[in-house]
Amino acid sequence: MTGGPAFEDLLRTLAPQVLGALARRHRDFAAAEDAVQEALLAAALQWPDEGVPDNPRGWLLTVATRRLIDRLRSEQAQRRREETAAAMQPPGERVARGPHDDHGTDAAADDDDTLTLLFLCCHPALSAPSQLALTLRAVGGLTTGEIASAFLVPEATMAQRISRAKQSIKAAGAEFAMVPQPERGERIAVVLHVLYLIFNEGYTASSGPHLQRGELTREGIRLARELHRLLPEDGEVAGLLSLMLLTDARRAARTASDGSIVALADQDRGRWNEDAIGEGTALISAALARAPLGPYQLQAAIAAVHAEAADARDTDWRQILALYVLLDRLAPNPIVTLNHAVAVAMVHGPQAALRMLDELEGDERIAGHHRLQAVRGHVLEMDGRDAAAREAYREAARRTTSIPEQRYLEGRAARLAAGAAERDG
Amino acid sequence: MKYMLLIYDNANTREMFAADGGEAMAADMDALLEELTQSGELIGGEALADPSNTKVVRTHDGVPAITDGPLAEAKEHFGGYLIVDCDSPERATEIAGRWPNASFAAMEVRPLMDGSGTEM
Repeated sequence: MTGGPAFEDLLRTLAPQVLGALARRHRDFAAAEDAVQEALLAAALQWPDEGVPDNPRGWLLTVATRRLIDRLRSEQAQRRREETAAAMQPPGERVARGPHDDHGTDAAADDDDTLTLLFLCCHPALSAPSQLALTLRAVGGLTTGEIASAFLVPEATMAQRISRAKQSIKAAGAEFAMVPQPERGERIAVVLHVLYLIFNEGYTASSGPHLQRGELTREGIRLARELHRLLPEDGEVAGLLSLMLLTDARRAARTASDGSIVALADQDRGRWNEDAIGEGTALISAALARAPLGPYQLQAAIAAVHAEAADARDTDWRQILALYVLLDRLAPNPIVTLNHAVAVAMVHGPQAALRMLDELEGDERIAGHHRLQAVRGHVLEMDGRDAAAREAYREAARRTTSIPEQRYLEGRAARLAAGAAERDG
Repeated sequence: MKYMLLIYDNANTREMFAADGGEAMAADMDALLEELTQSGELIGGEALADPSNTKVVRTHDGVPAITDGPLAEAKEHFGGYLIVDCDSPERATEIAGRWPNASFAAMEVRPLMDGSGTEM
């Protein structure tokens, strides 16, 4: 899109509102979603030349409605006897003089719409890649091309994923309607997971040629912020937003100028983003004080403890260990146990951590994973067992499919080899 | 996660596709490609010309030496590839298992390296 970030932000903010209003009125979510995309593209072409209209939301809704009706009419003409028009306006009713309520701003209705949209796009019937793609398009207002380049796949592949996602929603019988209260908790958990994956896709991308992917980080935070605004009382929503802010705060320090990874302990903490740390810390402190505990809050709390140490040596590892004990109990998974082992090494020493790692070798979910070998290398290095540490780093480097991680791990191994050569020679 | 599925041929492959049953194999291939397109998993793929069209290039002291023919004569040779983006390694091997070559030569499933990474 052209027109600069402010213009883009406006379109992305309005996208779910317009789609919500349209889907609420016309019920055919898939068709409404296509129509809104067309309206967004039209705006991206026209507004930079003609200026942003006085009521941009109304403009988008009018254009999208017209496109939707054109589409439904042509379908109807093709299949005159079929009941495609069940939900559409009576033919002849002109959009331009349509009802005024949806053209003005009804903040409460917009909020409900955005939440309903998020639930629909993160419907449990969809695969994770479909949930991500559809959320970014329908709620985030990104174009298919932008999403495709963010995920490094051809545009045709991404278009197919999105249309497949919409078919799955239809097949599951899901409609544009608010999820009833008893199912809310479960569905919010899925939404949080999707937003976390969006953020993470961008965060793990290195700088330079993958800048487009980095935009997913911004988008993940923006959507989490929006969700927090809609559900301010939900501790896990606050926890996720806090986790994203505290993680993203390290962005400038986590890669060297050549794009290589800098370990947490070696980062120049002066380059951490203080505003993001302040906001993230305040969010998590408030959430922990009032909401029931959850895994995102615990991960955010761990990130906040790291963030408050001005020097890696000042890190309060005892507190981090206590938080990992809770996390391991609340949401046990091998990656959590692996990070838990790092905290154990820092508090109780490498031997205790190695015992935990040995146990993880028996867990088939992580046994072949490069991260297990990378942590083993780190703990062995702490223990002064350089040759074994080197072998573990090399094994981790063979197993990872990430180029920057491979470089980092080979670098750790090479550093130990150089140290050994110095001592021997 | 993106994977390259390496398709191996043997000396009889082209004959097999021309003989009885060849049409059914080709139809299986088309159906699988269509399924992968529909699901949004297919990223791309190409078939390679017969190994007899190969040139081998080696540079000695900056001077390239070009010879005809493949690097090594083997019972099975690399005939083409697919790139898929799928949810799990199990799904990637399942796709490979359905490509006809898996039943008379072999398929290799290899993850692609990725520019992303996390701090450790």
